[in-house]
Amino acid sequence: MKKILYRILFYLICITEVFASINPPGNSFFSTHDEVIFSKAEVLNEYTARIPFKLIDHLIVVEAEVLDKKGDFIIDTGSETLILNEVHFPLKKRFYSKKKRTSGVIAVMDDTFEKNVKDFILQNFNLKNKVSDIVNLSHIEKAKKMHLLGVIGYNILKDYEIFIDMHLNQITLSKVNKHGDLLDKNVYAEKIIDSINFNLKKHTIVINGKVDNEEVRFGLDSAAEFNQINKKVDKKVLKHFYPKRRLVLMGASNDKIEVLAGKLFRVKLSETVYFGPMYTVLTNLNKMNEAFGTNLDGVLGYEFFQQKRTIINYQKEKLYFVKYPILRH
Amino acid sequence: MIKRIVHNVIFLIVAFASCCTYAQTKVFKGYKIEGDMLVFVFDKRDYEQASMASHLFDLEDLNIKNVVVSGEFNNWSKDKWSMIQIDENRYELRKKLSDFTDEFSWEFKFVINNRYWAEPSRRDENAVRAFENGHKLPTYNLKMYLAYPDKSGNVTFKLNGYDTARKVVLSGSFNKWNEDLFTMVRGKDCWTITLNIRPGEYQYKFIIDGEWIADPLNPNKKLNEFNGYNSIINVKAPINFMLNGFFDAEEVILSGTFNDWSENEYKMTRTKKGWVMTLMLSGGKHHYKYIVDNEWILDPNNPVREYDYDGNVNSVCMVK
Repeated sequence: MKKILYRILFYLICITEVFASINPPGNSFFSTHDEVIFSKAEVLNEYTARIPFKLIDHLIVVEAEVLDKKGDFIIDTGSETLILNEVHFPLKKRFYSKKKRTSGVIAVMDDTFEKNVKDFILQNFNLKNKVSDIVNLSHIEKAKKMHLLGVIGYNILKDYEIFIDMHLNQITLSKVNKHGDLLDKNVYAEKIIDSINFNLKKHTIVINGKVDNEEVRFGLDSAAEFNQINKKVDKKVLKHFYPKRRLVLMGASNDKIEVLAGKLFRVKLSETVYFGPMYTVLTNLNKMNEAFGTNLDGVLGYEFFQQKRTIINYQKEKLYFVKYPILRH
Repeated sequence: MIKRIVHNVIFLIVAFASCCTYAQTKVFKGYKIEGDMLVFVFDKRDYEQASMASHLFDLEDLNIKNVVVSGEFNNWSKDKWSMIQIDENRYELRKKLSDFTDEFSWEFKFVINNRYWAEPSRRDENAVRAFENGHKLPTYNLKMYLAYPDKSGNVTFKLNGYDTARKVVLSGSFNKWNEDLFTMVRGKDCWTITLNIRPGEYQYKFIIDGEWIADPLNPNKKLNEFNGYNSIINVKAPINFMLNGFFDAEEVILSGTFNDWSENEYKMTRTKKGWVMTLMLSGGKHHYKYIVDNEWILDPNNPVREYDYDGNVNSVCMVK
């Protein structure tokens, strides 16, 4: 009899846990007032905001406030979700957190816990029920000497058209409808000079480009500090990679890898969109491909955005480019 | 007497050498500092192109016979400071730090076969645009990085008192909060250091014998994550505004976010080409327009434009 009672009790606990993980009570983590505020954002209207960023080395970092904590968030198109830094957002109740793997920021991470951010608010943009992952990012904090609260990824960015502008050092977020049409008609006062199509594979922007005349699948990752090319890619492609030195890179999972760094020549994304020699590292992308959820031959990061003022539209699966001004002194 | 002078000279050399040693711990392209030696390093794999009389050549195509260091310190001589070949790719030249004048604003380059300039990439951390007689050249020189001690720099930090302190260091966002790099110099009742810093807003603190304090003379402070305060400095830069043409205009006014859109404060000066004005602006984004005889116009030469809160379009100038 006692045994049966125990079993019932066990069953009830399990049920609670299942319910908890399907519909986690956000309130236990965040009160209804919880929100992320971009303190320096210029909110132009209900649809559009411009958020200034700073570059910490090659990372695009915005300042935000969450749960009365002020600090930095990395803008990361390569990350699937919002990631909060466990150092600043310790898990209070682990029992209903479900183990999963999250991805982004250079590598795959294990044993992360999911958190439901009830209200992720960008000023008056209310981003409800965004799932976030809690990961210990203290090694990035240390290496970059920054107060890192987390990483803003695809599940936050996808509802907007995103203009990553390395000339004005700002990100413009503008709401779109389900077809990707802008709700605000006056977002950009500058001319769009070119565009290319991409494929969205899971959360990853995949561009079918070319190196010389060989087809190459590139992922676009705003938090990749260096462009990357896979060791396993066709030799005809690697012919245009000129190695120069060895570098030690650190991933979000705190593992160090030594890579060969050099220049990749003849990168072309369309007949009109091409690049000069780009600083690139030769890596084994097989592990990375798991993070990106798709097979890639290479990753375009910081240097791509540095050379192109880029607008990303996830719904239309299109990148638009705005002209770089010729600087006068 | 002579002995005393020698002692003083030795002291100065040692002081300068130690100053240089702690003023730089990171390896930059083209040189490194080892103790009291300055070592110029040329690695041919670090360069892609060389130039001669505005013509560009692939470095790989050159048969390198000799490499020379040329810079402000030797009047850009193409033959005086020959380097020694270390291996297949590398050349070195070791100089005593005391051979240099007491400043940290040297620009230099490498010369191959006494003719070709090895061109640094503009993306190299310590590459700067080359100027000749105040005119910009389409090429780059090598230099120290973002913020570095420079007696003719644009910002002097000063901390009064602390006479008994053994070491005072300036640490801030401009050097990634490095705790050794910028050691301040003891003066009369104060500690100082002059830096060359790019325009922008920076946070900083002083470290007095290991203890961090905010700048007591600077009221501009910000709460940091340790519930203490960081001091804030806003470094400004001169920005030239030029409006070509409009020769018939009576008056042209420059108006923008930097002066709360004043319609009479900044009257531009008439020149042969048009109208000019130079302003000291802080780092970041500034919206502006010209008022030509009461008519507001956008800057026709600047394609960078943005909507403001009311849906008007303004020209945008970025200071960084």
